Amino acid sequence: MFRINLIKLNLGIFFFLFTMVAHGKEGGKVIVDNHGNPLPQAVVQVDRLPPIVAGPSGEVSMDRMVSGDSVLVFALGHESKRFGWADWVMSDVIVLKEKVGELNEVVVSATRTDRTVEDLPMPVSVIGKKAIQETGGIRLSEVLSEQTGLQIVSNHGTGLQMQGLDTDYILILLDGEPLIGRTAGTFDLNRISVSNIERIEILKGPASAIYGSEAMAGVVNIITKSGGQGKKVDIGLRQRSFNTWNPYLDFGIRKKKWNVDVLYDYYGTDGYDLTPEVVGNTQNPYQSHSAQVKFGANLGSGWNFNVFMRGYTDRATGVLEVEESSGQELLDVENKRNEININPTLRYKPNNDWLITLRNMSTVFSTASDSRYRKEGNLFDSQDFKQLFRRTELQTDYQVNQKQLITLGLGFSGETVEATRYDDRNHFDATYFYLQHQWDASDKINIVSGVRGDFHSVYGSRLSPKLSGQYKFSDTFSWQLSIGSGFKAPDFRQLLLNFNNASAGYHVFGSRLANEALERLEDKGLVAKRLIQPENLGALKAEHSWAINTGFRWKPTDLVLVQVNAFRNALQNMIETAPIAQLVSGQNAFSYFNISRVITQGLDIDLHYKYNENLSFSAGYAFLDTRDLDVVAQIENGEIFKRNASNQTVRVTSADYGGLFNRSAHSGNFKVNYLEKHTGINWALRVLYRGEFGFSDLNGNLILDDKTEFAPAWFNVNLTTTKSFTNGILLEAGINNLLNTTNLYQPNMPGRLLFVGVKIPLLNL
Amino acid sequence: MKNLSMLLSLFLSLFVCVSCDSKEDEEPQLPLEAEMVVDLAAPNDIIDRTSGQVVEEKPFQFYSFSENKLMTEGEDWDVAFKGTTIRTNRDKNVRAALVNGIFQEIKEVPETATFTMDTDEDLAIPTGSGNGWYSYNSSTHAIKPIPGKVILLQTSSGNYAKVEILSYYKGSPSDEELDPFTDVGATYTFQFVLQPNGTTTFE
Repeated sequence: MFRINLIKLNLGIFFFLFTMVAHGKEGGKVIVDNHGNPLPQAVVQVDRLPPIVAGPSGEVSMDRMVSGDSVLVFALGHESKRFGWADWVMSDVIVLKEKVGELNEVVVSATRTDRTVEDLPMPVSVIGKKAIQETGGIRLSEVLSEQTGLQIVSNHGTGLQMQGLDTDYILILLDGEPLIGRTAGTFDLNRISVSNIERIEILKGPASAIYGSEAMAGVVNIITKSGGQGKKVDIGLRQRSFNTWNPYLDFGIRKKKWNVDVLYDYYGTDGYDLTPEVVGNTQNPYQSHSAQVKFGANLGSGWNFNVFMRGYTDRATGVLEVEESSGQELLDVENKRNEININPTLRYKPNNDWLITLRNMSTVFSTASDSRYRKEGNLFDSQDFKQLFRRTELQTDYQVNQKQLITLGLGFSGETVEATRYDDRNHFDATYFYLQHQWDASDKINIVSGVRGDFHSVYGSRLSPKLSGQYKFSDTFSWQLSIGSGFKAPDFRQLLLNFNNASAGYHVFGSRLANEALERLEDKGLVAKRLIQPENLGALKAEHSWAINTGFRWKPTDLVLVQVNAFRNALQNMIETAPIAQLVSGQNAFSYFNISRVITQGLDIDLHYKYNENLSFSAGYAFLDTRDLDVVAQIENGEIFKRNASNQTVRVTSADYGGLFNRSAHSGNFKVNYLEKHTGINWALRVLYRGEFGFSDLNGNLILDDKTEFAPAWFNVNLTTTKSFTNGILLEAGINNLLNTTNLYQPNMPGRLLFVGVKIPLLNL
Repeated sequence: MKNLSMLLSLFLSLFVCVSCDSKEDEEPQLPLEAEMVVDLAAPNDIIDRTSGQVVEEKPFQFYSFSENKLMTEGEDWDVAFKGTTIRTNRDKNVRAALVNGIFQEIKEVPETATFTMDTDEDLAIPTGSGNGWYSYNSSTHAIKPIPGKVILLQTSSGNYAKVEILSYYKGSPSDEELDPFTDVGATYTFQFVLQPNGTTTFE
């Protein structure tokens, strides 16, 4: 049994329709969970008749119930139960067991409609509020680092790696709308505070038809909290090592017709230094402020209006050492980032079958970096970057019947960028559509199919088809398969960069201006030889992939859940730099080209075991295999060499090849969760493992093929204790990185970190 | 790996001995031996990193393969080193070609090798990371000879030579030992084989 629904807005009407049915007392039954709490959201369905929703105390009246062959009882987050008619009549209290793991979590990212993990044929996972709490994390990167198959990597910020693909290929959404502002492709996860995150949805692979560029490795959707009932005013403070402070204020009002949520969050840290012998910190001290306002109003007659606003600003300061002819000089560096998002949404639901959503998003992201000589205060370098992104999208959902839901989206986006390193103000336009069909073909089979089309003013158009299906062998075992094509548009840097490294004497040009820029250099007599003919410059296409994901969800008992997903991504047209001309200085000029072909494949396994109400375990393992197909071909042709220990040249063999840099073949985690009954303290112990990974070429052949080029594996042990009081006050204390593991090649890991925190719901006191 | 390479070298030495045996009946010919040149210092000009201007110019180091020693600019040198730049002596018609392969396995000058001479615009041995004999790693800042790059030369006396650069740092530090910030760079260690009889073979 699957459930596709325009649920959120549907539910009220659902209640209204069946309230009278459910209210009678005679012959009534009560549906409760395994703690004896009533399940008001439970639904009873006789054969294939319209379902009946339980009343506020989980009661269901027999009055108007037509008899049938069998009765199915289900409730979100619980195991459903099927009765024969005779058994149904006999039972007065029906107990539905809570599901183990995360299968009951609702996911919106995958289909843009509310569906539970269990009902989705794509590889999705959800990190809930409790799991976020247990990480003791303050920034998003800390929460994501504990998930199977995800790695945190540092490259121009703290980025994410998923299915062996870098952060450039992962779409980051905040409440469903994309976040922009990447530095050299990396979206810095430290920009996101976790203090008001309700849950994080992770969709792996390009399985969803909803998303376009960047959603090649997957999508991370951060859902922020919306106030529950009435009013709330929460204040919180977290303090940890490295003089890190994180106070926040969370305020919400929910009325019948409107609701408001406001968050303010401050984060300040002194940073840390893993290489004290080198001038400059590994993590510079920085301070950030984020503020967020969500407003929603029910305008009546099926109209709803929401607006999401967010402002973010941060400032980091540090020291750099540069070598001048006069000797070593110190530079004071200051980096600032600002971001503003305004996303209004208008929804219209004329009836049960139609939902029309008009979304708009506007966002501005800017950075400014400034470095000055400490001695005289003269400017060394100054860089500015400003990106403006606007998007308007109209989504129409049509519930064809109980089994089919069609979603059509049409959108238009405009993007402008100005930067020190770019020539002019540059503007791009794009239009797109997506079409998705969700179909419950039978009780055992459900299918989500779709296509996304993108039409861009610079790199042309792309059609990305997707197909996912699930087969439920039984209530305890289901198999998922999804196939999809994804793509990533060339970014600004690849199209527009105009960079000259004066000290080293080389130039890098975006593909759009490479020819023009070379002509200018030629006029000045600086070009010795063109390596690429002009007609071969400038046409940069989108990188694209085909991906297959397949796996199963298996519940051998009510207490155990096993989830497995195997994947293979075949990427083509990947963009890399290549020399376009030799300069008279002996250096090169570079531009960007669609060159390489890459395969990433692997397996993610997650295992949950709930020993009893107070103790649960989980374990995760990820296997990853990556390779550059052109390198593989060169190795097979005997064209790549290395030096052995006695400095003799030998051929690199296929067995030597370690794949792409910064990928671990093996990684995993083990988590224990224990609620100590007498004190009410919740203990969460997590052990994280990352296997060895290549960090750089050392032997000069530019590929990963030698033991010395691998960074060592590491273990990380984190412990968090939390205690919540009945008045809602929450205390937490813990140690991250208990073993004080540091790894020069994992700069986001500062060593042992102690933290304490408190959250006070002022109105509950 | 270590065992494998030991086995391999054992196997190779056997092979060499076998070939020695079979050649014993023919007229005695001394096999060409690879000469090793260690730590030839060729410091680069001192350049102001912000302006790109040369602050202090350094001389090239001129080398002759037939003499197997440093020469002066006026003498019959073959190649000249300074920093990562390797010039060839165009006044003496020295020509060079870059080929891929294992030094020992290159038994003769391949017909496909294209020899060129230095011009005002182009060097026969191109400069720049990845263009010629070396690569520069922007994350470690190390300059490494690209393994498998062999320079073929026609020397000032018209004979053929093959050259392999083995290290750019003093003392030829291994990959683990190398610290590009403290190790002395622009210091060449290379091996070469010169065929003095004018043929294109290296045996």
